Amino acid sequence: MSLLDLITIAIVVFVLFNGILTAVLGVIYAERKALARLQQRVGPSRTGPFGLLQTAADAIKLMLKEDVRPGSVNLVIFYVAPLLIFTPIFMLWMVLPFGPDWVLSDLDIGLLYIIAILGLSVVGHVLAGWASNNKYALLGSARNAAQLISYELPLVFAVLAVGLLAQTATDRPFSLSGIVEAQGSVPYLLIMPLGFILFIVGALAETARIPFDIPHAEEEIVGGAFVEYSGIRWGVFFLTEYAGLATMAFLATILFLGGWSGPFSDEYTFLQPFYLFVKIAAIILIVFWIRAPLPRLRIDQLMAFAWKIAIPASLVNLLLVATVVWVQHQNGWEPWLTSVTISAVSIVLAVATGIYIQRRREQRLRQFRQRWAQ
Amino acid sequence: MLGTFKSLLTTVKLALKPPVTAEYPSVEPTLAPRFMAHPVLTWDKDVPEPYCTGCLVCMRICPTDCIDVAMMDNPKHAEGDSSRRKIVDYFDLNVADCIMCGLCVEYCNFDAIIMSDNFDASQYARPNLVFDLEQLLEAGKEQEAKGRWSPPEAKKSQRRAAAQGGGTAAAADAPASSEDRVAAARAKAAELRAQRAAERAAQGEGDKDAE
Repeated sequence: MSLLDLITIAIVVFVLFNGILTAVLGVIYAERKALARLQQRVGPSRTGPFGLLQTAADAIKLMLKEDVRPGSVNLVIFYVAPLLIFTPIFMLWMVLPFGPDWVLSDLDIGLLYIIAILGLSVVGHVLAGWASNNKYALLGSARNAAQLISYELPLVFAVLAVGLLAQTATDRPFSLSGIVEAQGSVPYLLIMPLGFILFIVGALAETARIPFDIPHAEEEIVGGAFVEYSGIRWGVFFLTEYAGLATMAFLATILFLGGWSGPFSDEYTFLQPFYLFVKIAAIILIVFWIRAPLPRLRIDQLMAFAWKIAIPASLVNLLLVATVVWVQHQNGWEPWLTSVTISAVSIVLAVATGIYIQRRREQRLRQFRQRWAQ
Repeated sequence: MLGTFKSLLTTVKLALKPPVTAEYPSVEPTLAPRFMAHPVLTWDKDVPEPYCTGCLVCMRICPTDCIDVAMMDNPKHAEGDSSRRKIVDYFDLNVADCIMCGLCVEYCNFDAIIMSDNFDASQYARPNLVFDLEQLLEAGKEQEAKGRWSPPEAKKSQRRAAAQGGGTAAAADAPASSEDRVAAARAKAAELRAQRAAERAAQGEGDKDAE
């Protein structure tokens, strides 16, 4: 590796890093504005035109704040934990492709890399909670660990199903750009709606967004693992959360929405980043939309949903894709037949599951009312 | 499950409505037509002097004792410029104590005190919240300029003169004594009752209400 290579890498990493920071500022501003409109408010409107500089002002404020540290913390771990949380999220961007050749490292096992790195940030959360010597922080980190472990399974199964399906169209089924190429003009969202929903739910839980923000739960455990952090260190936690959201939206776009492909994207390559951006923004907006009306789940509801619904559903999804792909191999089906079969069966399954859940809930409600009526 | 989707739909519906946020300092709020902030005093331009005679009615009725008034002999009356024999000496209104109930306005005999719309009458120090006569009169002039109050068209004496001179025709159909007025009211009530009974009978509920 020559010096020039090193300089190039340094420049690219610098640009990417600052790009992520800027993107996070944008995401936070977008969230505050979108959430405000969904709640009939106006959101930030004073700092700069339309309040555009609000998040920048907040970031400057955080940087200038005093870095208060309680006396009883474990010094080394307390200071290392924010970095341990942020680094995995940044590492994910190494394999995320912005275009056909726009990627830092086009790993053939990009999918496995992402699955492996995603689980790392929980270490930082647990360390932060432990080092803070604060019961709320420890509770928050324990909740975070439990939640991440529960929801990693449906997430990984959904991602694996994508890899399985991509294998029918490309010889690099676990590379992210390979998956985008394999999708072609039909995004996997249409073929695997169940997988997409499971991925979004899993991503919400992984990034601890409402309704899965049990690890933060401001009303119960005053913010979770980063109660004792202040100033720039707290800012790093906050940054990580939104960077995680952007990363998850990026992943969902790559895996299920066809990445940068869209109408005329092959003829006019300048359209590709545009399509990518629009898709990511759409997913992030959906996440904000989900946040607006929903309350926080109880921890038992969270676990019940994971183990009773999400994991079985993701297993069924994986099995379904595997079976249909196998049948396709055996009988030499056309690819479109595979797609239609998987799509139809998973839609039927999703609707049936939804109806079942609704029935169960109504039944339980009836029982509850009968008990209290007596 | 279904409720989740319903709530998502509700949020979208809310997003389509205009925001309810009041951006107060940059956008003036629209107040209700009868919005009441603290009371202010009115100014008689004809003399000129305040309408207030310092009769203390407002001070006595005030539930929070936030008004402090005193009366004095009107120097303008001595000179023959004014018909008011007495006039207000000083008038202090403690806005911090005022509950904007409007009782002083209700009880004032001289149309001298009105409710203003000065909702932003805040001050940096508490003593500044005691408004004196000059401030209240200034605020009253502002209210008049805004059209929230207009002076009575004619003074009472002029109204009385008008009634004695040209207004006899109007006074003729009014009942002469209080007994007559009571009798007329009773007759009207009986008429109304009969009308209502007829309506009920028309609806077939007559026997139920007959007793």
